[in-house]
Amino acid sequence: MAKVKIHIDGKEVLANEGANLLHEARLNGFNIPGLCYHHKLTPTGACRLCLVKVEGQRGMVASCTLTVKEGMNIVAFDQELEDTRRFLLDYLVSEQNTHYDGTYADELRDLMFRYNLDMQENRFFKPVKPQVEFRIDNSSPVLTYDPSKCIKCFRCIKACDEVQGKNVLSFYERGLNSFIVAGTGVWGDSECDGCGECIQLCPTGAIVEKPNRKFIKLDRVEQRVRTTCPYCGVGCQIELLVQDGKIVRSNGVEGVSPNDGRLCVKGRFGYEFVHSPDRLTVPLIRKNGELVESTWDEALTLIATKFSELKEKYGPDSLAGYASAKCTNEDNYIFQKFIRTVFGTNNIDYCTRLCHASTVTAMLKSIGDGAGSNSIEDFETTDCLVVTGNNIIETHPITATYVKRGAAKGMKIIVIDPKWTPLVAYATLWLQPRLGTDVALLNGMVREIIANNWVDHKFIESRVEGGMQAFLELKELVEKYTPEVTEKITGVPAQKIKDAAQIYATAKTAMVATGMGMSQQVTGTHNVFSLLNMILITGKIGKERCGIDPPRGQNNVQGATDVGCHPAMYPGYIPVTNAENRRKVAEVWGVPFERLSDRPGLTTVEIMQAAYHGKIKGLYIMGENPMISDPNLNHTEEALKKLDFLVVQDIFHTETTRFAHVVLPASTWAEKNGTFVNSDRRVLRVRKAVDCPGQAREDWRIVHELAARMGKPMPYYRDEAEIFDELARVTPIMAGISHARLEHQGVQWPCPTPNHPGTPTLYLDKFNTPSGKAKLFPVEHVDQTERATTEYPFILNSGRILYHYHTGTMSRRNKALTNFTNHPYVIIHPNDASKLGVKSGERVRITSPRGTLETQVHIAEEVLEGELFMPWHYTEAQVNRLTRDELDPYSRIAPFKISAVRVESIS
Amino acid sequence: MPKEYRIALRNCGLINPESIDEFIAADGYQALRKALKSEPLGIYEEIYDSGLRGRGGAGFPTGAKEKAAAVICSDCEKYVICNADEGEPGTFKDRIIMETDPHTLIEGITIAAYSIVAHRGFIYIRGEYELSIQRIQNAIEQAYGRGFLGENILGSGFNFHLEIRRGAGSYLCGEELTLIESVEGKRGYPRIKPPYPAEKGLWGAPTLINNVETLANFPAIILNGAKWYRSIGTEKSPGTKIFTISGDVNKPGFYEFPMGVTLRELIYEVAGGIRNGKPFGAALIGGAAGTFASEQHLDVQMGYDKLRDAGLTLGSGAVIVMDSTRDLNQTMLSILKFFKHESCGKCIPCRIGTTQLYEALKENLTQLYFKADTVYPELIRQAEMIARTSLCPLGQSPILPLKSLWEHILVKQIANK
Repeated sequence: MAKVKIHIDGKEVLANEGANLLHEARLNGFNIPGLCYHHKLTPTGACRLCLVKVEGQRGMVASCTLTVKEGMNIVAFDQELEDTRRFLLDYLVSEQNTHYDGTYADELRDLMFRYNLDMQENRFFKPVKPQVEFRIDNSSPVLTYDPSKCIKCFRCIKACDEVQGKNVLSFYERGLNSFIVAGTGVWGDSECDGCGECIQLCPTGAIVEKPNRKFIKLDRVEQRVRTTCPYCGVGCQIELLVQDGKIVRSNGVEGVSPNDGRLCVKGRFGYEFVHSPDRLTVPLIRKNGELVESTWDEALTLIATKFSELKEKYGPDSLAGYASAKCTNEDNYIFQKFIRTVFGTNNIDYCTRLCHASTVTAMLKSIGDGAGSNSIEDFETTDCLVVTGNNIIETHPITATYVKRGAAKGMKIIVIDPKWTPLVAYATLWLQPRLGTDVALLNGMVREIIANNWVDHKFIESRVEGGMQAFLELKELVEKYTPEVTEKITGVPAQKIKDAAQIYATAKTAMVATGMGMSQQVTGTHNVFSLLNMILITGKIGKERCGIDPPRGQNNVQGATDVGCHPAMYPGYIPVTNAENRRKVAEVWGVPFERLSDRPGLTTVEIMQAAYHGKIKGLYIMGENPMISDPNLNHTEEALKKLDFLVVQDIFHTETTRFAHVVLPASTWAEKNGTFVNSDRRVLRVRKAVDCPGQAREDWRIVHELAARMGKPMPYYRDEAEIFDELARVTPIMAGISHARLEHQGVQWPCPTPNHPGTPTLYLDKFNTPSGKAKLFPVEHVDQTERATTEYPFILNSGRILYHYHTGTMSRRNKALTNFTNHPYVIIHPNDASKLGVKSGERVRITSPRGTLETQVHIAEEVLEGELFMPWHYTEAQVNRLTRDELDPYSRIAPFKISAVRVESIS
Repeated sequence: MPKEYRIALRNCGLINPESIDEFIAADGYQALRKALKSEPLGIYEEIYDSGLRGRGGAGFPTGAKEKAAAVICSDCEKYVICNADEGEPGTFKDRIIMETDPHTLIEGITIAAYSIVAHRGFIYIRGEYELSIQRIQNAIEQAYGRGFLGENILGSGFNFHLEIRRGAGSYLCGEELTLIESVEGKRGYPRIKPPYPAEKGLWGAPTLINNVETLANFPAIILNGAKWYRSIGTEKSPGTKIFTISGDVNKPGFYEFPMGVTLRELIYEVAGGIRNGKPFGAALIGGAAGTFASEQHLDVQMGYDKLRDAGLTLGSGAVIVMDSTRDLNQTMLSILKFFKHESCGKCIPCRIGTTQLYEALKENLTQLYFKADTVYPELIRQAEMIARTSLCPLGQSPILPLKSLWEHILVKQIANK
């Protein structure tokens, strides 16, 4: 925006042309009062406190309704304006319940003090009362609404609508009797999902968080710590309030990427687990079949001894480690270094192999990087967004707010999902293919694009390996995927396939968000190849607001691989097989070159399979719960039981610690310093807010000490910043980053030097492949290996919901979240339910060739006939008892999305 | 005895409002035919030259409004809205037009749409006017049936679709920007202006909004010409006005007279004088958002500027007459109660101020000794602040009756004691 000269109270001010006048005036030190204006919202002009005088205009004008124009001459403060403001505030106070309990920030109260209206005797106007009964609404699990404190400023309504795209709130009644309703009544009965945007923007005590309300006192908060959310991969910046050594509140941090103050219910209310009495606080050793309390000395000595024995007896490759997508980069970096330099093997992996493995494998082969190519802001500004296999509103709520804002401005959205998701309500088109037919669908779309010549020939010739030749090979392969054939395979109407192809291919810019639906299949890698083919032939990558963006599920699933928790890659995606690489890495690590193994290690599920077959003897698990998250749990259970020695380092007992020989108490994200990397490659600071409970320790410290006890000590690190510095020396994509540089905001890798600004969009010049060009991979549709049979007539799909997170260890220990929902269920189509003779709420047994479980029925048309869906967060109904560990040959991922099952009523 | 001159009410009582044939026989839709044969530019120029001013209450030059909506863009989406919310107390003229001659309104709005090239229109009728809604709906269907609405009207190539939207009990939805919010399906809160409807109105598109009576004058102006219209009424307020006279008069009702008729003529000749021979007390002109006229004002000529010069407002043309035995403080109290009830609550000064004003007067009126000269100046001070700081015309209204009651009547009453 251009800067222009204006005058305020006789002072010359340089302000942004077209910007909001009130906002600019305040930025320049003119503290004009106001209660209804917020820079994130469209101006309302309701409170009238920001009235100013404008040269050339009669009377007083609300400055929040004006935009800056060159030559404006404003009077912001004079006696008349100040008297008017005082008059208006006096009016407002006469309507209000001014009782203040110290639990919230109160902008009205601040103004009352400023204008001398805090004392009753200074007020001119008598109190006025509404003619309807104002009742406090305490029905929401997370907030309380008090209409007697409501100043009717519209901020909450607009916050819910304009910022979060949910539009749940509205006024009821009118005039002095106005109050806020959610949905058509009280909060608890509405679609409010607890994101708390209204809480954050409410200027008074009308809307306040429920948790800790009786305990918190803002003037006794000793710390406000800015850190990154520990749940999903959006990487929201949050501010934790600490009082008496406990986290009592979480606010969104305004004005910073990626979330600009927005949060979801987990980020705002999911911190309670940190102080749960269930926290592990003492090392535990299994003696006589029972885990008993021990000491760090005893536990670490035992571990060092056992692992050394196993290594001696069976070789380094008989040991393995699971890193943690929840831990910091520093934790994970130290961990992979431990596995490589102390165990001496490359058997290191983690839950990413269960998640985006296919996406990353296909992307690495085709375009050279496995991380999202764009930034979160692009989700609002691109012209067309395809969301495939990703329930983005529930799993990446803040990314979804950008999507919804884009939709409000006309962005086209195409949803590809076998199951209904909330995004469908905003979509231009919803394609609902049968489970497991994605390659066919995308090949069908590609054929349509080629047939109509919506192809970017220039892009293909200049930026795709093999140019037209490769294109013609793709063309030949997809020729048979006519709209009719594709409809037959997928169940998606031919016209929709054509429309989707047209909307995407002819859009000026377009992005693809691809999720678990595509990746967690036996054909996962092929699924993503077929997606990339479509992106490449239309040239919708390598340009601003174009690309492919797999929203990452965990807070640091991206970072853990970035810093080397991969069986075949060192930090920075450098292959372990290359001798030169090993030499460089060994040098930075200060270890003998020979100690580093040149053999690629086993992946996550392969490690478990190897344990089952007795090849892996010892396993060190940091912050992971394979006994809920791994496929084919009966098999996994057997595998864990077969291990000679299992160490689990975690914050709570889990289904996995049941099999551990030693359990080590570790730290949550709030108890250490470090960094995470989010979905748009942003390296973000994590800061310590509270101390570890009991004898629990930071994860990296535990690993560091273990290394010393196993005779292969690592260098001394004064703090996590030093760990990051070393990490940066060995990881070219992060070479220019340090803790100091991340003080105020994140930096997106690649960032090769300290002066490099970071990279918002990838591939603008070239792809990260050896040739610099992208590769097409024409692939055929193949029928799924596991199909519905007479014995197992249904296909079970699994996934996540908004309120809970993965194996539930953290999320189910928050009352705010469990009060929304806390029980397992299976979604069945109404026609299937009536054939089975079951009703919603009844219990059923679900059985697959692998195992069985019991759960509750929820009838809905969200799934296709013949398909089912279960959320996988609940240990009472472990979905992975039913899934199988047959793996995608390239990505080694298990098909969590497709299991053949049968359903029996047990009511 | 001044004579009525019916333009907007030309067919009232003379035809069956449910018969389109009787309307057509009375030169119905001839103006539309004529308009469609000329350029839109010619239409709004004619309206502009006629000097017609908005009959809803604001008195803004109608032709200027039309011109603004016409020239802002061509070949773009536009809308025309008829404001039939008729919320001002004491006003019942639009209802009469809709109930007795709905086709005149349809003809008028179609001409207006043509002049700005809008292809969709809405008539926003207050929800309580069941009969009006019924008659207008019926008339719309008849008009579609005969080709006066819809595609290619009378073979001219001009398309115009018209439908009804209902109000739901909000005075403020008669204010044009709030009305637009209501048509969009939202709660009735006024928008910030600028932008004005001609620039950004319904769904962000240029919109022309006119009152029922205003549009009912269009056919006659088109048929007879701007010069003819100017020859009626006064120089600054040409044409006629429907006055709705009620209260302590012998013949309350609706009467259409050329502007320039005096208040005395209206009350004593047209409406048959004060009931029971009582002396004149006051006349509230323009409804709740209007002004009190005293005996001194009886010879003022009715017209926008003449009344303004006398410290009065014409408003909607409602005249509520009170004889000298009426307690005007009670009248004032019920006016304040009305504003309190109708305030939407969006802005602080009006939401709280309308209640504060009402409560203050109410409390004072219960006192043993009511001293108007301490009470009213304070109410006026507050009402002035409210008027200066409010977001919309509702907040700018209480000052009008308060100040005029005090200055025109109460001050003299006190002086005479």
